[in-house]
Amino acid sequence: MTDGDYDYLIKLLALGDSGVGKTTFLYRYTDNKFNPKFITTVGIDFREKRVVYTTNSPNGTTGKTFKVHLQLWDTAGQERFRSLTTAFFRDAMGFLLMFDLTSQQSFLNVRNWMSQLQANAYCENPDIVLVGNKADLSDQREVQEKQAKELADKYGIPYFETSAATGAEVDKAVVTLLDLVMKRMEQCVDKPAADTHNTDGTSKLDAVPTAEKKCAC
Amino acid sequence: MVQNMEINVSFLTDSEQEFILEVLRRDEELRRLEDLRVRKLKSELLETRRKGAKRGSGKYSERSCGRCQEPMGLLTSNSSQCRVCKHQVCRKCLSVRPNGSWVCTVCAKEIDLKMSTGDWFYDERVNRFSAAPGHDLVRVSLRKRPLIKKKETAGEMLLNRADLNSSHVVPVPKPRLKDVALANKSSSLEAYEGLDVREQQRSDTESIEKASLGSSRTETESSHSTPSMQRKEEPTAKTSPTGSAVSILMAPSNSDIPSTTETASLIYHMNSCSDSLRDVDGLFKKSVRRVHKLSDVKPASTLDLHEDGTESAAPSMRDRSKSVPGLNAEEDEEEEDIDNLVNIHRQTFGKSLGSLGGSRTTLGSMMSVYSEAGDYDRVEVSGDIVFSLSYDESSQSLSIVVHECKGLAYADAAKKKCNPYVKAYLLPDKSKKKTSIKHNINPSFKETLKYSISRTQLMTRTLQLSVWHYDRFGRNAFLGEVEVPLDCRDIDSPVEECMALRGKAAAHLPSSPFDQYKGELVILLKYVTANKIHTEGSTGKGKKTKPGDGAELHVLIKEAKNLTAMKAGGTCDSFVKGYLLPLKSKSSSKKKTPVVKKTKNPNYNHTFVYKDLTLEQLKDMCLELTVWDRETLSSNDFLGGVRLSLGAATVTEANEEWVANSTGEEILLWKKMMQYPDSWAEGTLPLRSSMGKAK
Repeated sequence: MTDGDYDYLIKLLALGDSGVGKTTFLYRYTDNKFNPKFITTVGIDFREKRVVYTTNSPNGTTGKTFKVHLQLWDTAGQERFRSLTTAFFRDAMGFLLMFDLTSQQSFLNVRNWMSQLQANAYCENPDIVLVGNKADLSDQREVQEKQAKELADKYGIPYFETSAATGAEVDKAVVTLLDLVMKRMEQCVDKPAADTHNTDGTSKLDAVPTAEKKCAC
Repeated sequence: MVQNMEINVSFLTDSEQEFILEVLRRDEELRRLEDLRVRKLKSELLETRRKGAKRGSGKYSERSCGRCQEPMGLLTSNSSQCRVCKHQVCRKCLSVRPNGSWVCTVCAKEIDLKMSTGDWFYDERVNRFSAAPGHDLVRVSLRKRPLIKKKETAGEMLLNRADLNSSHVVPVPKPRLKDVALANKSSSLEAYEGLDVREQQRSDTESIEKASLGSSRTETESSHSTPSMQRKEEPTAKTSPTGSAVSILMAPSNSDIPSTTETASLIYHMNSCSDSLRDVDGLFKKSVRRVHKLSDVKPASTLDLHEDGTESAAPSMRDRSKSVPGLNAEEDEEEEDIDNLVNIHRQTFGKSLGSLGGSRTTLGSMMSVYSEAGDYDRVEVSGDIVFSLSYDESSQSLSIVVHECKGLAYADAAKKKCNPYVKAYLLPDKSKKKTSIKHNINPSFKETLKYSISRTQLMTRTLQLSVWHYDRFGRNAFLGEVEVPLDCRDIDSPVEECMALRGKAAAHLPSSPFDQYKGELVILLKYVTANKIHTEGSTGKGKKTKPGDGAELHVLIKEAKNLTAMKAGGTCDSFVKGYLLPLKSKSSSKKKTPVVKKTKNPNYNHTFVYKDLTLEQLKDMCLELTVWDRETLSSNDFLGGVRLSLGAATVTEANEEWVANSTGEEILLWKKMMQYPDSWAEGTLPLRSSMGKAK
């Protein structure tokens, strides 16, 4: 799998409290398997997956397709690895911020993770998808969808309720994040170099041609 | 702030460190692939750009496409202006962007490249981190060379560091400057150590091997020949408790040499994540402080250069100038940086008597596997090794079963003594596994060495099995080796294989800058007397008037031959840069030819003129000409150089004195120029592969 035959290398990173299911989530995504055992992640790890990404043209027709190599960083949720894991935040282009739908505490900590991200990611408003995992354990649910949705809206990020056990919404959450990152990428290169730093927190596409950038020809 | 964040990995247990290291190695592999891909993409862009774009020079019709230069109709409005480069381009040379806007094909390609190489991300990131207030030194370095290590990732850094010191505080991301400068201290001292190695009384091969595997070579138990060296080296030895240092520390007690009952994998653990690190800990911290102070005192520019020196010493995969010994420094397109590079080039090898040029690089780290330090006993190689390979899919690991060796040579023929063990590398990886030590020339090992590695990664590796004689008191001896490329090998069924041992394949160490053929440079020199200049045009055999004011040195760079290909398609875009040393002032002394594209045999026909020189002055001067491959989007690559002087001229530069080690043709041509003023002296000079200086 690791040959150089791809068009983009996109690096995503999963973060969140210990035990919310980051590792199993990624395992489900890359291998479509579920491992119910809890094995705590030692510091950091990553998985890879090759996907095909199709751009959407503005006129609605399907655009070009690209081969995207995903490097999905898995981080330890445990506090003791914190200094190590946050160091890897800066290398990721997009983030899966995860919490456990059956743990109110993990949801409350989303706020903290968010500020960790803002401090350590490559920019102040990176692309993030909020993921509530373990949706299959409906009888143990502690976090209501409405609650989580509100928080996600507040941050202006998408929210998904996933289950690594059943695989529900797992792909969709990652693909949505990939889509955000790819759009961000377009936006970054199509804007003049002077104000690539987007601080308004939205990711609207700027189609107005602003010709500041110098061509090297 | 991010700048001040530190990765403290000292809290990790040994097995955790091992685990993380393994992850980082996988990441490194991915980065290496990515690097190759990016490089390819960038050369593609250059291709596209070359295809007939209008350039500053040359005349172009107003009514022709700025890209394909096809004439455009007078009446039909089938041209448009690219919003990025402002060229008028025809319809064929337009490219529609996903957002509906459009640009010309070249600009489109550039934009695409920015995305596909991930540069968009690194550019964004740089914005953030450079905008924040940082350490003065950091800022200085950012200003000078904004592109450097733009792409460095935490994993990469940690991995490089992991090789260095697996359980110490690693600053992230930018403050590394200090540490790097510090680490460099060790690398710049390597030369001394190189000497020391030879003087060492009981350096066994093991320790040297390990030392050369780490990026900084240190010898703790070496007996130094001069007190000053000793002083200089002290911090080095202490501040790099690298894997290597550790093993060296262990070496005297021979504790890393396995007892026959231990399994090889255990030994491996012992070597790489050592308990003894903790013992060094206190020592390390103390000396770190000391060296920090030292480097703080230094002017920033020095530090900057040092940083590069370190890069060349660090075995890093991200290096994009692998073919250039000692030149790992990434450099942007700024003039200054080329200068830096030259400086680095000099500095890095400066103290190495100009002879160790090729050895401290990424290539070097490869070569170090071959016990590059060369301090082991040689015996005639004989015998075979029997081993089998199998790959286990479930545990993602390669098992190497070393069955036995047959008919090995005696390390000590007189006493019929031989204590063989087998060592394995998955080249180019540096991690080593060893068997236990036996005591006869037909040893039966029956030991399994296991590597955790994905199958795809394995395809890119070469298994090297070498047999060594272990000598408790003296030096180890090399008994032979085999190499097995794993890309086309059946590793699913464990078939026993018997291979004949052979001698060192690539163990030869470049002992002079000329060992590596880099091509030739054809130049003509002429010392033009003042008289001549004033009576320009006259063909008379002008008498030498008073040399001095107004006299000039003309250097005609005619052509280069057989340069090393750097670009796709086996070509390079080269230019020549000249320095007349010692510098009177930097700006007056540095000259450059235009870039000649797409050839390994460029015709420059460009003359450098150095003014106001007396013949007397030229005696103590040295002309350095270096050939570079122009890289538009990354660092220029060093292709070779020449150093012209009278040979043993002592050049005083700033506070440093060095002897121009010109040789052969280089001296002859310089002499000829001085002997016959006002006439051209022509010469074809072999290019040096490094510009190291003798002190």
